[in-house]
Amino acid sequence: MKKAITLLTLLLSLAVAGRAQQGAEALIADCVAYLRAFFQNRPDAQVAVVRFDNESELSDLAMQKIYQMLVSRLEGEGAVNVLDVLVNISGGRGEFALERAAGLDFLIDLKLIQNKSRTGLGLTVFSRLQDRIVSLKYFETSLSQDEAEFLNTRDFAFSGLGFSKLLEFESPMHLMDIRSVAADDGMKYFFYYPDEIIIYQARQTRLEKHFQFKLRWQRPFTPVRHYEGKLLLFRSGPDLILTAGNNFSSKTMVMAFREGRWLEIQDIDFVPFQYGTLNQNPYLVGARYAAGQNFFRDTVYFMPFHDPTDRTVAYEKKVCPAMDMAFAVQEGRLQALHLIDRDYHYRLYGGEFEPQSPLADRKGASLAVLGDEWLALSDHSAAVDRLFFYDIRDGGLRPVYDAPVDGEVQFLSAGIWQGARGFWAGVRQPAGGAERLRVQFWGKRDE
Amino acid sequence: MSKGKRLWLLLMALPLASAIKPYYGGEITIRLNEPASFQLNTANYSNLIFYSLIYENFFYLKKDGQIFSNVFAEYRYDSGRRTLFLTVKDNLSFSNGKPLTAKNIRVSLNVFLGSDLYAASRLSKTVKSVRFSENRVEVELRDDAPRILDMLTAPELVVLGEDEQSFSGMFFPQHWEKNRHLILKANPFYPGGRSYLDSVKVAFSGSPAPDLFLSGPGQRNDLFLEFDSGIYQNIYLCFLQGDIGQNTKVALYTLLKRFNEATGSRYRELHTLTADEESPISIRIKTFSQQKTMSILRHSDIKLHVLASLSSLQQDLEAFLRESNLKIETLFIDNSQFATFLDSAEIHYVLIDKIFQKKIPADEKISRILKESSFNLFNAKYLRMLGELDEARSSRSPELIMEQIARISEAIVGDGFIFPLFQKTYSLYVRRSWSDLEIDYYGRPLLHKVGKAHD
Repeated sequence: MKKAITLLTLLLSLAVAGRAQQGAEALIADCVAYLRAFFQNRPDAQVAVVRFDNESELSDLAMQKIYQMLVSRLEGEGAVNVLDVLVNISGGRGEFALERAAGLDFLIDLKLIQNKSRTGLGLTVFSRLQDRIVSLKYFETSLSQDEAEFLNTRDFAFSGLGFSKLLEFESPMHLMDIRSVAADDGMKYFFYYPDEIIIYQARQTRLEKHFQFKLRWQRPFTPVRHYEGKLLLFRSGPDLILTAGNNFSSKTMVMAFREGRWLEIQDIDFVPFQYGTLNQNPYLVGARYAAGQNFFRDTVYFMPFHDPTDRTVAYEKKVCPAMDMAFAVQEGRLQALHLIDRDYHYRLYGGEFEPQSPLADRKGASLAVLGDEWLALSDHSAAVDRLFFYDIRDGGLRPVYDAPVDGEVQFLSAGIWQGARGFWAGVRQPAGGAERLRVQFWGKRDE
Repeated sequence: MSKGKRLWLLLMALPLASAIKPYYGGEITIRLNEPASFQLNTANYSNLIFYSLIYENFFYLKKDGQIFSNVFAEYRYDSGRRTLFLTVKDNLSFSNGKPLTAKNIRVSLNVFLGSDLYAASRLSKTVKSVRFSENRVEVELRDDAPRILDMLTAPELVVLGEDEQSFSGMFFPQHWEKNRHLILKANPFYPGGRSYLDSVKVAFSGSPAPDLFLSGPGQRNDLFLEFDSGIYQNIYLCFLQGDIGQNTKVALYTLLKRFNEATGSRYRELHTLTADEESPISIRIKTFSQQKTMSILRHSDIKLHVLASLSSLQQDLEAFLRESNLKIETLFIDNSQFATFLDSAEIHYVLIDKIFQKKIPADEKISRILKESSFNLFNAKYLRMLGELDEARSSRSPELIMEQIARISEAIVGDGFIFPLFQKTYSLYVRRSWSDLEIDYYGRPLLHKVGKAHD
């Protein structure tokens, strides 16, 4: 009885506070207050919105903003242990990374409703433990025409605080990938070209060539029109390992840096793009390009990688053919696979490789994942490109920043520059009737 | 700057992948005549196109005169050493994965030089030796010839494999359903980079509706783009033995003219050895009446050999001859087997065809006819006449050249071994959705850049 009185008091006080606010802000404040009160005595409960439908006059963009405000308020207040598992909002419906729902205690269902001139937000709380609905609540507010239009604009963050271009320079054409590794004398940057790898070292705000070595490919060799390749650098025991795979050689070179030299220690028949652990075992993860073409086939290979010289049979997981793919990794552990399919739709494969619905709108052919925090995607554009940065920390996909790119993004890879974490981008630009390749680093200063 | 370097720069400037990548996949349907085999045979326009799909040329000549190669990483002519250096790209393979090396290039060049083609005999006069070492082929010339590369653009000069399953072209044969179609699959090892298309269906009839086909010029169709192929096909009746009476020759000639009329005059009448517009002399062979033709041929037992490149006529021609109740048997022979066939059998009557690029000078065409169409009748007289034509050509006097063309034409017709019959000009029709297609100097569609538009 005492608990019930406390809850009632809180709700009344918040309702009064809510009335002081207007429009969407009031709707969210009411909702947050209600949930905070509801979960007040459940501090360890894991909660996530797993369903969000829109039957109001608001757009998907407005839904996205309402959702973001709601989740960030709940996170900010710390009263509710909320996970953000939203992947996308499309056609008035939210798509969520539902494989994460297995670890949740409470699931929240939201629905935006149009009630004549007023907008309502319905909220249902479902308990996994009790396997039943434990709460239903409805809030309503008036949204002015101007506010509704404002909500419908594509602004999710202050771009000045987001990813910005920290470095740009010209590279020879056909650069396929960039990776970096920390060494005793500073960061080393590996630039992967079809016939060589050039290693640069950072000197203040520029890169100086440190070393380079030729790559000698053997048959079977499939000549290509468009060079594509993935470079991977990681430490395995005492060794620094490098793998270089591409769409023109069916063999990927695996090299180890020993006694000051890069030695080819074996070759493998897929193109690794991630090294990480699954169930505490190290794996080299990759895929095969369709021979001589510009996309990955529909299989991801996981090769146990305890000993760099050991040839172990990889096990396989089916996905879909992809223009590009990358794994999210949390403290070395493989999390989810992000990819762009051949129809330019972004797709997410969760920890158990269960596919999520693809994003409705098309993206570009390149993506990269920074840890398990940020996803960068290029745009579905043939002339003027754009980079989209998504927050994926909770397994969802929250659009945060985007930035125009002068040219067309050829590849993206996660990296670090001057202490700032971010993404390398190879950007093709027209130059006086010919073309040039610009390398850009997009970093977030506060990351 | 060397041509090799220029080529390299050009390749570097080719469009790369964009944020939206080029689409790999899809099939194009091309309507052509059914080939007799996969052995190179570029005798007619249809074959010229077909074999360009499965055999890679040393060099390609674009309509604007630009020359490019997918096989050579570099090519350089050294005037001082009178040598052309051809550097083969690293790690090339034929369609079945067998290595494609400088040795294959040398062998292919020698095969071409040893052929009966006029372009080959011109080149063999120029080439002193062909050597190779590692990935480089050295072509030493007898005299300085800075334009040697032009001669290497001949469509018959292709990279040949050591066995019948090795194809160097953009596609390789996968499935052949006789009389219906042939499926060609993308060659994964194609030296110019894997084609955007997965396959080509070569259809031998109008069904399924083709994306690309050959037909007479000026056919209006909103779905298709018309390209002037720059090519015409001439058909000749040849008499390969000296014991054939003039009446029989003219009667057979008359009969074939009637055949053309009876089948809707698909071909234009030809009154010269090359083209009526450019020839200094006109050949008028007076035909017989139907009655006289029939009475001359009634008691003949004629075996008319026809090159397989004219196989599209087979059905109609055999039906026409059957109806005429004459004892004329048609025997179709693969073009590539014809020379061997000549050595082993006594052939009297042959129907042959030749294709010509309109732009090629008349003197070159007449040389080709003399060299390639006089067969076992080629003799010292013709060799001398060709030499005189070369002299006239080097004098650069149009009058002298024309005079010599007229002399050769008169001699050929006078000797009575070749009667010009018909001519057909061609346009290439391409479905508008395949608009990236280019046509080369020889009228062949270049599928290098052709891809299916992504939805």
